[in-house]
Amino acid sequence: MSEQNPAAQRGVPEELERALAAEVSLRSRMRHIAVGLAGGCAATLIAVLWATEPDPLPARTQVAFAGLIAIGAAWAGLAGWVLSRRRPLFARDRVLGARLALGATVLTTIAGTALAAVRGATADVLVTALGGVLFTAAAALVLVRAQSRRRELLRLRDALQRDDS
Amino acid sequence: MSSDVHDGLLVVRCQLGEREAFRELVGAWHAPLCRYLRGMVGSPHLADDLAQEVWIAVVRGLPRLRQPERFAPWLFTIARRTVTDQLRQMYRVPETSLDVVGDVVADDELSGVLTTMQIEAGLSGVPPLEREALILFHLQDLPLVACAEVLGVPPGTVKSRLHRARRMLRTTLAERGYEA
Repeated sequence: MSEQNPAAQRGVPEELERALAAEVSLRSRMRHIAVGLAGGCAATLIAVLWATEPDPLPARTQVAFAGLIAIGAAWAGLAGWVLSRRRPLFARDRVLGARLALGATVLTTIAGTALAAVRGATADVLVTALGGVLFTAAAALVLVRAQSRRRELLRLRDALQRDDS
Repeated sequence: MSSDVHDGLLVVRCQLGEREAFRELVGAWHAPLCRYLRGMVGSPHLADDLAQEVWIAVVRGLPRLRQPERFAPWLFTIARRTVTDQLRQMYRVPETSLDVVGDVVADDELSGVLTTMQIEAGLSGVPPLEREALILFHLQDLPLVACAEVLGVPPGTVKSRLHRARRMLRTTLAERGYEA
Protein backbone atom coordinates (compact mmCIF):
# COMPACT_ATOMS: atom_id res chain seq x y z
CA MET A 1 0.00 0.00 0.00
CA SER A 2 1.21 3.37 -0.91
CA GLU A 3 0.41 4.98 2.43
CA GLN A 4 2.45 2.56 4.45
CA ASN A 5 5.52 4.42 5.56
CA PRO A 6 6.72 5.81 8.88
CA ALA A 7 6.02 9.34 7.75
CA ALA A 8 2.35 8.49 7.82
CA GLN A 9 2.60 8.57 11.61
CA ARG A 10 2.23 12.33 11.37
CA GLY A 11 -1.39 11.64 10.49
CA VAL A 12 -2.10 9.91 13.81
CA PRO A 13 -3.87 12.27 16.22
CA GLU A 14 -2.21 12.79 19.60
CA GLU A 15 -5.38 11.78 21.40
CA LEU A 16 -5.35 8.44 19.63
CA GLU A 17 -1.64 8.00 20.41
CA ARG A 18 -2.40 8.56 24.10
CA ALA A 19 -5.39 6.22 24.10
CA LEU A 20 -3.36 3.49 22.44
CA ALA A 21 -0.39 4.02 24.76
CA ALA A 22 -2.73 3.38 27.69
CA GLU A 23 -4.28 0.45 25.86
CA VAL A 24 -0.95 -1.35 25.32
CA SER A 25 0.58 -0.38 28.67
CA LEU A 26 2.73 -3.13 30.17
CA ARG A 27 2.53 -1.54 33.62
CA SER A 28 -1.26 -1.72 33.62
CA ARG A 29 -1.14 -5.40 32.69
CA MET A 30 1.41 -6.25 35.35
CA ARG A 31 -0.64 -4.31 37.92
CA HIS A 32 -3.70 -6.39 37.12
CA ILE A 33 -1.70 -9.61 37.30
CA ALA A 34 -0.29 -8.57 40.68
CA VAL A 35 -3.72 -7.61 42.02
CA GLY A 36 -5.25 -10.86 40.80
CA LEU A 37 -2.48 -12.96 42.29
CA ALA A 38 -2.57 -11.06 45.58
CA GLY A 39 -6.34 -11.50 45.81
CA GLY A 40 -6.23 -15.19 44.93
CA CYS A 41 -3.30 -16.02 47.21
CA ALA A 42 -4.72 -14.04 50.14
CA ALA A 43 -8.09 -15.79 49.76
CA THR A 44 -6.30 -19.15 49.70
CA LEU A 45 -4.28 -18.44 52.84
CA ILE A 46 -7.37 -17.20 54.71
CA ALA A 47 -9.19 -20.38 53.66
CA VAL A 48 -6.28 -22.45 55.03
CA LEU A 49 -6.39 -20.46 58.29
CA TRP A 50 -10.12 -21.05 58.58
CA ALA A 51 -9.91 -24.74 57.69
CA THR A 52 -7.09 -25.47 60.16
CA GLU A 53 -8.71 -23.61 63.07
CA PRO A 54 -8.74 -26.18 65.90
CA ASP A 55 -11.79 -24.75 67.75
CA PRO A 56 -15.12 -23.66 66.26
CA LEU A 57 -15.03 -19.95 65.41
CA PRO A 58 -17.66 -17.41 66.50
CA ALA A 59 -20.27 -16.62 63.82
CA ARG A 60 -19.01 -13.06 63.30
CA THR A 61 -15.45 -14.28 62.75
CA GLN A 62 -16.71 -16.84 60.25
CA VAL A 63 -18.61 -14.12 58.40
CA ALA A 64 -15.47 -11.95 58.40
CA PHE A 65 -13.37 -14.82 57.02
CA ALA A 66 -15.97 -15.56 54.34
CA GLY A 67 -16.10 -11.87 53.44
CA LEU A 68 -12.31 -11.64 53.12
CA ILE A 69 -12.20 -14.78 50.96
CA ALA A 70 -14.97 -13.38 48.75
CA ILE A 71 -13.12 -10.06 48.38
CA GLY A 72 -9.87 -11.83 47.43
CA ALA A 73 -11.68 -14.07 44.96
CA ALA A 74 -13.50 -11.05 43.49
CA TRP A 75 -10.20 -9.25 42.90
CA ALA A 76 -8.80 -12.36 41.24
CA GLY A 77 -11.93 -12.67 39.09
CA LEU A 78 -11.88 -8.99 38.12
CA ALA A 79 -8.20 -9.20 37.16
CA GLY A 80 -8.90 -12.32 35.12
CA TRP A 81 -11.75 -10.59 33.28
CA VAL A 82 -9.67 -7.46 32.57
CA LEU A 83 -6.74 -9.54 31.30
CA SER A 84 -8.94 -11.61 29.01
CA ARG A 85 -11.23 -8.85 27.70
CA ARG A 86 -9.70 -5.43 28.16
CA ARG A 87 -5.94 -5.86 28.42
CA PRO A 88 -5.02 -9.13 26.73
CA LEU A 89 -1.45 -10.23 27.32
CA PHE A 90 1.11 -10.19 24.52
CA ALA A 91 3.75 -12.92 24.36
CA ARG A 92 6.35 -11.17 26.50
CA ASP A 93 3.70 -10.06 29.01
CA ARG A 94 2.44 -13.63 29.29
CA VAL A 95 5.93 -14.89 30.13
CA LEU A 96 6.38 -12.18 32.79
CA GLY A 97 2.92 -12.80 34.19
CA ALA A 98 3.44 -16.56 34.29
CA ARG A 99 6.72 -16.09 36.17
CA LEU A 100 4.95 -13.90 38.71
CA ALA A 101 2.19 -16.49 39.02
CA LEU A 102 4.71 -19.29 39.53
CA GLY A 103 6.51 -17.31 42.24
CA ALA A 104 3.23 -16.44 43.96
CA THR A 105 1.92 -20.02 43.92
CA VAL A 106 5.22 -21.40 45.26
CA LEU A 107 5.23 -18.87 48.12
CA THR A 108 1.54 -19.47 48.86
CA THR A 109 2.07 -23.24 48.86
CA ILE A 110 4.98 -22.94 51.29
CA ALA A 111 3.12 -20.49 53.55
CA GLY A 112 -0.13 -22.49 53.45
CA THR A 113 1.59 -25.79 54.16
CA ALA A 114 3.54 -24.21 57.02
CA LEU A 115 0.30 -22.82 58.48
CA ALA A 116 -1.39 -26.19 58.18
CA ALA A 117 1.62 -27.94 59.76
CA VAL A 118 1.60 -25.60 62.76
CA ARG A 119 -2.17 -25.52 63.29
CA GLY A 120 -3.82 -28.56 61.72
CA ALA A 121 -3.73 -32.33 61.55
CA THR A 122 -1.66 -34.41 59.13
CA ALA A 123 -4.61 -34.64 56.75
CA ASP A 124 -4.82 -30.83 56.63
CA VAL A 125 -1.12 -30.59 55.80
CA LEU A 126 -1.45 -33.18 53.03
CA VAL A 127 -4.53 -31.56 51.47
CA THR A 128 -2.95 -28.08 51.61
CA ALA A 129 0.34 -29.31 50.15
CA LEU A 130 -1.44 -31.26 47.41
CA GLY A 131 -3.60 -28.25 46.49
CA GLY A 132 -0.51 -26.05 46.45
CA VAL A 133 1.38 -28.49 44.25
CA LEU A 134 -1.55 -28.60 41.80
CA PHE A 135 -1.70 -24.79 41.59
CA THR A 136 2.08 -24.57 41.21
CA ALA A 137 2.01 -27.20 38.45
CA ALA A 138 -0.73 -25.23 36.67
CA ALA A 139 1.36 -22.04 36.91
CA ALA A 140 4.43 -23.91 35.61
CA LEU A 141 2.39 -25.25 32.68
CA VAL A 142 1.19 -21.72 31.87
CA LEU A 143 4.80 -20.52 31.94
CA VAL A 144 5.98 -23.33 29.64
CA ARG A 145 3.19 -22.57 27.16
CA ALA A 146 3.89 -18.84 27.28
CA GLN A 147 7.59 -19.41 26.61
CA SER A 148 6.81 -21.80 23.78
CA ARG A 149 4.41 -19.28 22.17
CA ARG A 150 7.03 -16.54 22.52
CA ARG A 151 9.72 -18.73 20.91
CA GLU A 152 7.33 -19.56 18.06
CA LEU A 153 6.66 -15.85 17.45
CA LEU A 154 10.38 -15.02 17.61
CA ARG A 155 11.08 -17.65 14.94
CA LEU A 156 8.28 -16.24 12.80
CA ARG A 157 9.59 -12.70 13.29
CA ASP A 158 13.08 -13.75 12.21
CA ALA A 159 11.72 -15.51 9.12
CA LEU A 160 9.61 -12.48 8.17
CA GLN A 161 12.57 -10.14 8.74
CA ARG A 162 14.61 -12.21 6.29
CA ASP A 163 11.76 -12.06 3.73
CA ASP A 164 11.25 -8.33 4.31
CA SER A 165 14.91 -7.36 3.81
CA MET B 1 3.43 -9.71 -1.58
CA SER B 2 6.02 -7.49 0.08
CA SER B 3 3.55 -5.27 1.94
CA ASP B 4 1.86 -8.38 3.36
CA VAL B 5 5.23 -9.55 4.67
CA HIS B 6 5.92 -6.10 6.14
CA ASP B 7 2.49 -5.97 7.79
CA GLY B 8 2.93 -9.53 9.02
CA LEU B 9 6.26 -8.60 10.56
CA LEU B 10 4.72 -5.58 12.32
CA VAL B 11 1.85 -7.70 13.62
CA VAL B 12 4.20 -10.41 14.92
CA ARG B 13 6.29 -7.76 16.67
CA CYS B 14 3.10 -6.41 18.26
CA GLN B 15 2.07 -9.92 19.32
CA LEU B 16 5.47 -10.35 20.92
CA GLY B 17 4.80 -7.22 22.95
CA GLU B 18 7.13 -4.70 21.27
CA ARG B 19 5.33 -1.46 22.10
CA GLU B 20 7.16 0.51 19.40
CA ALA B 21 5.69 -1.80 16.76
CA PHE B 22 2.18 -0.63 17.70
CA ARG B 23 3.09 2.94 16.83
CA GLU B 24 4.46 1.81 13.49
CA LEU B 25 1.39 -0.32 12.76
CA VAL B 26 -1.00 2.52 13.57
CA GLY B 27 1.17 4.96 11.62
CA ALA B 28 1.05 2.71 8.56
CA TRP B 29 -2.68 1.96 8.63
CA HIS B 30 -4.38 4.96 10.23
CA ALA B 31 -4.70 6.97 7.01
CA PRO B 32 -6.23 4.11 4.94
CA LEU B 33 -8.54 3.27 7.84
CA CYS B 34 -9.70 6.89 8.16
CA ARG B 35 -10.26 7.10 4.43
CA TYR B 36 -12.49 4.02 4.59
CA LEU B 37 -14.40 5.31 7.61
CA ARG B 38 -14.87 8.79 6.13
CA GLY B 39 -16.11 7.25 2.93
CA MET B 40 -18.60 5.14 4.86
CA VAL B 41 -19.94 7.65 7.40
CA GLY B 42 -19.29 10.96 5.65
CA SER B 43 -18.43 12.94 8.79
CA PRO B 44 -14.70 13.37 9.53
CA HIS B 45 -15.34 13.83 13.26
CA LEU B 46 -17.39 10.66 13.51
CA ALA B 47 -14.77 8.86 11.43
CA ASP B 48 -12.06 9.92 13.91
CA ASP B 49 -14.11 8.60 16.85
CA LEU B 50 -14.75 5.34 15.03
CA ALA B 51 -11.06 5.05 14.13
CA GLN B 52 -10.18 5.16 17.83
CA GLU B 53 -12.78 2.46 18.53
CA VAL B 54 -11.39 0.32 15.73
CA TRP B 55 -7.79 0.66 16.93
CA ILE B 56 -8.75 -0.28 20.47
CA ALA B 57 -10.56 -3.36 19.15
CA VAL B 58 -7.48 -4.17 17.05
CA VAL B 59 -5.14 -3.93 20.05
CA ARG B 60 -7.45 -6.13 22.10
CA GLY B 61 -7.83 -8.71 19.36
CA LEU B 62 -4.25 -8.77 18.12
CA PRO B 63 -2.93 -11.48 20.46
CA ARG B 64 -5.54 -13.86 19.01
CA LEU B 65 -4.84 -13.08 15.34
CA ARG B 66 -3.53 -16.37 13.95
CA GLN B 67 -2.57 -15.19 10.46
CA PRO B 68 -0.43 -12.06 10.85
CA GLU B 69 -0.08 -11.63 7.09
CA ARG B 70 -3.89 -11.33 6.81
CA PHE B 71 -3.89 -8.15 8.87
CA ALA B 72 -5.47 -5.86 6.26
CA PRO B 73 -8.68 -7.86 5.73
CA TRP B 74 -8.94 -8.39 9.49
CA LEU B 75 -8.56 -4.65 10.16
CA PHE B 76 -11.22 -3.72 7.62
CA THR B 77 -13.54 -6.43 8.94
CA ILE B 78 -13.33 -4.81 12.37
CA ALA B 79 -13.81 -1.37 10.80
CA ARG B 80 -16.84 -2.58 8.88
CA ARG B 81 -18.38 -4.06 12.03
CA THR B 82 -17.77 -0.79 13.87
CA VAL B 83 -19.41 1.21 11.07
CA THR B 84 -22.37 -1.19 10.96
CA ASP B 85 -22.88 -0.88 14.72
CA GLN B 86 -22.68 2.89 14.46
CA LEU B 87 -25.19 3.08 11.60
CA ARG B 88 -27.53 0.71 13.42
CA GLN B 89 -27.37 2.96 16.48
CA MET B 90 -28.02 6.03 14.35
CA TYR B 91 -30.96 4.67 12.44
CA ARG B 92 -32.24 2.13 14.96
CA VAL B 93 -33.25 -0.30 12.25
CA PRO B 94 -32.85 -4.07 12.44
CA GLU B 95 -29.96 -5.48 10.45
CA THR B 96 -31.08 -6.80 7.12
CA SER B 97 -29.19 -8.99 4.78
CA LEU B 98 -28.63 -6.83 1.77
CA ASP B 99 -26.64 -9.35 -0.17
CA VAL B 100 -28.04 -10.10 -3.54
CA VAL B 101 -25.62 -12.39 -5.25
CA GLY B 102 -25.48 -11.26 -8.79
CA ASP B 103 -23.92 -12.85 -11.77
CA VAL B 104 -20.21 -12.45 -12.08
CA VAL B 105 -19.66 -9.60 -14.42
CA ALA B 106 -16.60 -8.59 -16.29
CA ASP B 107 -14.78 -5.47 -15.16
CA ASP B 108 -16.11 -2.59 -17.11
CA GLU B 109 -14.12 0.13 -18.74
CA LEU B 110 -14.34 2.42 -15.70
CA SER B 111 -12.03 0.36 -13.49
CA GLY B 112 -8.90 1.74 -15.02
CA VAL B 113 -10.25 5.18 -15.82
CA LEU B 114 -11.59 6.55 -12.55
CA THR B 115 -9.18 8.49 -10.43
CA THR B 116 -9.11 8.40 -6.66
CA MET B 117 -10.37 11.97 -6.51
CA GLN B 118 -13.29 11.20 -8.77
CA ILE B 119 -14.26 8.15 -6.73
CA GLU B 120 -14.10 10.15 -3.49
CA ALA B 121 -16.13 12.94 -5.06
CA GLY B 122 -18.91 10.58 -6.11
CA LEU B 123 -18.99 8.31 -3.06
CA SER B 124 -21.87 10.10 -1.37
CA GLY B 125 -24.14 9.22 -4.29
CA VAL B 126 -23.54 5.48 -3.95
CA PRO B 127 -25.48 3.27 -1.46
CA PRO B 128 -23.51 1.86 1.52
CA LEU B 129 -23.02 -1.71 0.26
CA GLU B 130 -21.73 -0.63 -3.13
CA ARG B 131 -19.80 2.24 -1.53
CA GLU B 132 -17.77 0.00 0.75
CA ALA B 133 -16.94 -2.33 -2.11
CA LEU B 134 -15.66 0.70 -4.05
CA ILE B 135 -13.64 1.99 -1.12
CA LEU B 136 -12.01 -1.34 -0.34
CA PHE B 137 -11.24 -2.28 -3.94
CA HIS B 138 -10.38 1.05 -5.54
CA LEU B 139 -9.23 3.27 -2.66
CA GLN B 140 -7.61 0.69 -0.39
CA ASP B 141 -6.30 -1.46 -3.25
CA LEU B 142 -7.38 -4.66 -1.52
CA PRO B 143 -7.51 -7.69 -3.82
CA LEU B 144 -10.96 -8.98 -4.72
CA VAL B 145 -10.58 -12.03 -2.47
CA ALA B 146 -9.63 -9.85 0.52
CA CYS B 147 -12.63 -7.56 -0.19
CA ALA B 148 -14.87 -10.62 -0.21
CA GLU B 149 -13.39 -11.72 3.12
CA VAL B 150 -13.98 -8.30 4.69
CA LEU B 151 -17.52 -8.03 3.37
CA GLY B 152 -18.36 -11.63 4.18
CA VAL B 153 -19.66 -12.41 0.69
CA PRO B 154 -18.37 -14.47 -2.26
CA PRO B 155 -15.98 -12.72 -4.71
CA GLY B 156 -18.70 -12.84 -7.38
CA THR B 157 -20.95 -10.70 -5.20
CA VAL B 158 -18.15 -8.19 -4.75
CA LYS B 159 -17.73 -8.02 -8.52
CA SER B 160 -21.40 -7.38 -9.08
CA ARG B 161 -21.45 -4.73 -6.34
CA LEU B 162 -18.45 -3.06 -7.92
CA HIS B 163 -20.17 -3.16 -11.28
CA ARG B 164 -23.31 -1.53 -9.85
CA ALA B 165 -21.21 0.96 -7.89
CA ARG B 166 -19.30 2.06 -10.97
CA ARG B 167 -22.52 2.48 -12.90
CA MET B 168 -24.00 4.64 -10.13
CA LEU B 169 -20.75 6.53 -9.80
CA ARG B 170 -20.70 7.26 -13.49
CA THR B 171 -24.24 8.66 -13.23
CA THR B 172 -23.41 10.70 -10.13
CA LEU B 173 -20.23 12.11 -11.66
CA ALA B 174 -22.00 12.93 -14.90
CA GLU B 175 -24.65 14.85 -12.94
CA ARG B 176 -21.90 16.80 -11.17
CA GLY B 177 -20.16 17.65 -14.38
CA TYR B 178 -17.22 15.25 -14.21
CA GLU B 179 -16.18 13.53 -17.36
CA ALA B 180 -16.48 9.79 -16.82
